[in-house]
Amino acid sequence: MFQIYLPIAEISVNLVVMLGLGAAVGFLSGMFGVGGGFLLTPFLMLSGIPPAIAVATGANQIVGTSVSGTLAQWRRGNVDLHMGAVLIAGGVAGALIGVLLLKYLRELGQAGLFISLTYVVFLGGIGALMLWESVNAIRRQRAGKSVSARKSGQHNWIHGLPFKMRFPRSRLYISAIPPLVIGGVVGLLASFLGVGGGFIMVPAMIYILRMPTNIVVGTSIFQIIFVTAVVTLLHATLNHTLDIVLALLLVIGGVIGGQFGVRAGQRLRGEQLRALLSLMVLGVAARILIDLLVKPSDLYSLVPMVGGS
Amino acid sequence: MSTAIVRPFLLLPLLLLPLLVGTAASAPDALPPPPMVKPGTGQETVQADISTREIAIQSNFTGVEILIFGSIDFSDSRTPTGGTYDVITVVRGPNEPLVLRKKTRVAGIWVNGPANTYDDVPSFYAVLSSRPVRAIASDKALRSLGIGLSDIDLGRDTAGSPQEQSFHSAVIRLMEGKKLFQEDYDGVVFIGRSLFRATVALPVNVATGRYLVDVYLFRDGELASRSQGSLEVTKAGMEALIHTLAFQNPFLYGLLGIAIAMLAGLLGWFAFRRD
Repeated sequence: MFQIYLPIAEISVNLVVMLGLGAAVGFLSGMFGVGGGFLLTPFLMLSGIPPAIAVATGANQIVGTSVSGTLAQWRRGNVDLHMGAVLIAGGVAGALIGVLLLKYLRELGQAGLFISLTYVVFLGGIGALMLWESVNAIRRQRAGKSVSARKSGQHNWIHGLPFKMRFPRSRLYISAIPPLVIGGVVGLLASFLGVGGGFIMVPAMIYILRMPTNIVVGTSIFQIIFVTAVVTLLHATLNHTLDIVLALLLVIGGVIGGQFGVRAGQRLRGEQLRALLSLMVLGVAARILIDLLVKPSDLYSLVPMVGGS
Repeated sequence: MSTAIVRPFLLLPLLLLPLLVGTAASAPDALPPPPMVKPGTGQETVQADISTREIAIQSNFTGVEILIFGSIDFSDSRTPTGGTYDVITVVRGPNEPLVLRKKTRVAGIWVNGPANTYDDVPSFYAVLSSRPVRAIASDKALRSLGIGLSDIDLGRDTAGSPQEQSFHSAVIRLMEGKKLFQEDYDGVVFIGRSLFRATVALPVNVATGRYLVDVYLFRDGELASRSQGSLEVTKAGMEALIHTLAFQNPFLYGLLGIAIAMLAGLLGWFAFRRD
């Protein structure tokens, strides 16, 4: 009942489960203002979708959910197009490198390992930082002090770099190099992990570029559309790992869940949201790490030859 | 590249060619070839067919059961359980290259270590018989016909691995786990004096391509007759369309994926916006 055959993954999945998975991840991403790929891709792998197909299809789903997210942010004037364009330029280059790297690792049979390790390092690191920051913020607030993530007017090493550009919406006049590099790193991660990269980009834009927080969220989700679209296209062309039927199920669930998530998120305070999100990020990292450390029930695995004739 | 390998089941028709008078090389979609009579073992012949000649994988595909049925002509068995005859059926899917990897522990983490590539692993292989195959015929006879998982030919592998035997059996074990390799020693059931039937379940993860169905009739441990048929597994309808597009025009396919996602996002935002 409700089983549907996936033409590229070549397995049959439950329609309701996949719609529900998309909705649950969409809800969380709407609530926290992140793409949700870091939850979706590991969940897809756990439900038996081959890692490479999970990565490509996860990226495709994020295209859909970030379109609705961007439209909502756009109407509030939260998208910095100049900054977005620079981030996208870096992101496309990073995505290309990531897709080629993943193709090479698949041929070596180490794609799964590297995907898992990268997840553990990035989710573990970012999750711990976020938890530390949000717990401190909550504590300071209880003590009655005001909370401000942005220390405006301060100059740092970023301002010494050449190729300065004006970003009117963010009220910044900084070098184009840091956003290019941040975009590149995020593009690399996006193609490698099947994530949008919001969980890296948002802190980077707040703490390194010193952009206003509301503009950060809108610009981040705006550029995620383009980077995940490029990642989807590259995976589909080079690796043939995009499953359009699975992507459709996930995106329908995701878009609906996302709208409810946004509403739920507005009832929670920023620091509480960040603390909750960091706990979830750490939970996913721990789960992946345990899988790497515990002896597998079967040491052998059988896979189709990649690039074979 | 596989010319150096002697595949018993491919050689057999060559040996019997003089007896066949060319009929074994019949067109792929023709009726099963006429039964061949091995001189000196009586007149009995086996004729068999498959319930489905073509299996179409569509969106509701969750695997399929096929029925192989046949009869023994000129049977001199009086009762169905007389035990004079034994039937073994072998269903083989198209070969594919597979990589087997073994995980080893490196710095506390389990990573893929030694690997072995097998060039021609049958994507599906099922043996069904009326009795355990070792009780029906000698090991030598079974091996020459390619019957049984223990003698299965996995094609050329990257040689020189000291754990070759453990690798070989791991391939068989994993394929059995996926229901792609099957052995069923009660799988062939006799109905009446000369009719028999066998059902094989093709799981959801079957490969597409041509499947060969061989039916062997044994009498007193000797091969008395054989019959061969085939069936085609293809993707059909939407599934075929998507698969073809994904592999033959991947750029367009990727664009289509992006367009669908964007449209869904747009519709979602439009349906739920509050102003």
